[in-house]
Amino acid sequence: MAGSRISEQLPPLIDRNQSPLAFGQRALPRLAAELQNPELTVRQGALAALRDLIHDPERAYETIYHGCLERLKVLLKDEDSSIRTATTEVLYLLTAHSVGREAILREDVVGCLSELLDEPVDACRRNTHLVLKMMSGFPAGVACMVSLGLVPRLVMKVAAETEDIRELVLSTLGSCMRVDTQAAQAALASDVVTVLREQLTHSSTNIRREATAAMIAISVPPQGKVKVCEEEVLPVLVQLLSDEDLEIKANAAGTIMNTAVITKGKFQSLQAGALAPLLHLVECEHRAVCANALRALTCLAEVPRAREQLLQHLPLLQTRLNHPEPIIQRASATAIQVISWTP
Amino acid sequence: MASQRYNQAPNGAYVSSTRPQPASTRLKYKDPAVIQNEGSRVYGNIMYDRRVVRGNTYAKHTLTLRSQPDPAELKKKQEARRRALERKMAKEQFRLLTPKAPEGRKHTDVQTELYLEELSDHPEDASMGCQTDAFLDEPATPLFIPAKSGKDVATQIEEGELFDFDTEVQPVLEVLIGKPMEQALLEVLEEEELASLRAQQRAFQELRNAELVEVQRLEEQERRHREEKVRRLKQQREVLENERVIAEKIAARGFAQQYLADLLPSVYSTLREQGYFYDPVQRDIETGFLPWLMAEVDNALEKREIALTVLDTLTYDVANSRQETSKD
Repeated sequence: MAGSRISEQLPPLIDRNQSPLAFGQRALPRLAAELQNPELTVRQGALAALRDLIHDPERAYETIYHGCLERLKVLLKDEDSSIRTATTEVLYLLTAHSVGREAILREDVVGCLSELLDEPVDACRRNTHLVLKMMSGFPAGVACMVSLGLVPRLVMKVAAETEDIRELVLSTLGSCMRVDTQAAQAALASDVVTVLREQLTHSSTNIRREATAAMIAISVPPQGKVKVCEEEVLPVLVQLLSDEDLEIKANAAGTIMNTAVITKGKFQSLQAGALAPLLHLVECEHRAVCANALRALTCLAEVPRAREQLLQHLPLLQTRLNHPEPIIQRASATAIQVISWTP
Repeated sequence: MASQRYNQAPNGAYVSSTRPQPASTRLKYKDPAVIQNEGSRVYGNIMYDRRVVRGNTYAKHTLTLRSQPDPAELKKKQEARRRALERKMAKEQFRLLTPKAPEGRKHTDVQTELYLEELSDHPEDASMGCQTDAFLDEPATPLFIPAKSGKDVATQIEEGELFDFDTEVQPVLEVLIGKPMEQALLEVLEEEELASLRAQQRAFQELRNAELVEVQRLEEQERRHREEKVRRLKQQREVLENERVIAEKIAARGFAQQYLADLLPSVYSTLREQGYFYDPVQRDIETGFLPWLMAEVDNALEKREIALTVLDTLTYDVANSRQETSKD
């Protein structure tokens, strides 16, 4: 009679493409050895089995411990495209664990991956960009990418790639610039603002969202602000304030608020007519949109001309004072303070 | 299984955990509570105790611990019985032997039943013959159904005999459905966790952006104010500097004016003293005439001088020559 306790083991999965797993601790060393096998099918099977195993953090640690990363680096240069695709997928699953990310940095896998950026196979490129996106989430990874000179290359790839991969590249760039100032400098040197401005008017919502997110990141350092003013991005951003997606609105308002810190930005925003849409956005319920709009208005209110106009809309801002979110309360209080300031 | 009631002493002998005590008899007409209250135990005479076996114990059937017949004992009993039976049978056989025939007589076997029967080795037999008709077609051979060999065995599973489906299927179903559900739940949980992590990250980013811009705005404001201040201070300083310079200039001008107020007369007087303002005629006389006059006077005096010198020389010469002539 079957036991009534459900075992902790997963039910046995019979997949013909996967090589069979040895029992317990022997599984990973065997897979590691199979990865070096000259036979194509063996390597494919081993990669398929590894792909399923690596979801488990214990197994991921074991993989790294048995030095599979060296083999995977060799496989990245393999001639067969399916092997390369599977290898990049395994690396992507590995980046989901922090041990994986550390190991990737240690073994300098990013350098080998950067050679795959020009890969003809779509799926392989996509996985490569997924790995880079995960690696750009934390400072050490971004430092590594900057030292390898990946940021300018990624900037150039933005225009060249297909839609879904472009999203990933934009998101990677955004995280890089947000995390590390050096990355922002490197990106600015390669005219990232121009590239991003073209993407702002793309038809796909995702691409616009990522582009605006990258914009808000690039407008934080002072040189970025100057560049944004020079490239006349502000009119496009003011247009995006009336976009449908909430995140895009929030990011556009955020970029305007960042750029309006410098005087030139203030005047350009006012010229582009940012006040009316921003006032409209203040009423939105989404926290980011509301907060960014309030901050943008605060920055713009330092110009006397704008202050006159905004004085009429003070009641609207005062309604925001009672919002449950503390950030919105603070932002509206500051805005009211700045608007009501007299020299 | 009886629980172990005895421990093993260190030297290997068993020691019972309860101290040996004499068995107490139950008084018939008193209940146990009363006995306990009395405190003393009533001990019966072992000789009159029904529980004790009396008599010879060498060959008696002893009761085992569990009051169940021991299989070895059973076997021994059976064998003893069998042997007794054999002995009896053997005894019977001996008894059945008829006594020997006296002399001149022979024993014969006689059938004493009602109906006599011929006894012989050969059974009665009769021969029978059979022959198929000639030229008859061979009839169709019937289907060869081999003779049934072996034993017919049938079995039928009655309801409820093998297993009860409803109870047995439960664990199987639990695994079949539970495992994928568990797995799915785990995956969903993982995704939810990731989603909540990302949401938290996003929320943090939003807050950070807002606060960052506030910081930058204030920094910018501060910078502007500072620059403004610096500029104003510089301006003010310049103004002060200018004023100072102007004041100095004015002071210097006043002082210079004062200083130079009597410059002119003094210059004139100095010049006049130094003779820069001269009367031309006087000057002319002084520069032209008088030097000439002096020169003429000089000449005249020189001439006189020369003349005197000549005279002196003459005199000297004369004197000398006179002297010389006087010497001679």
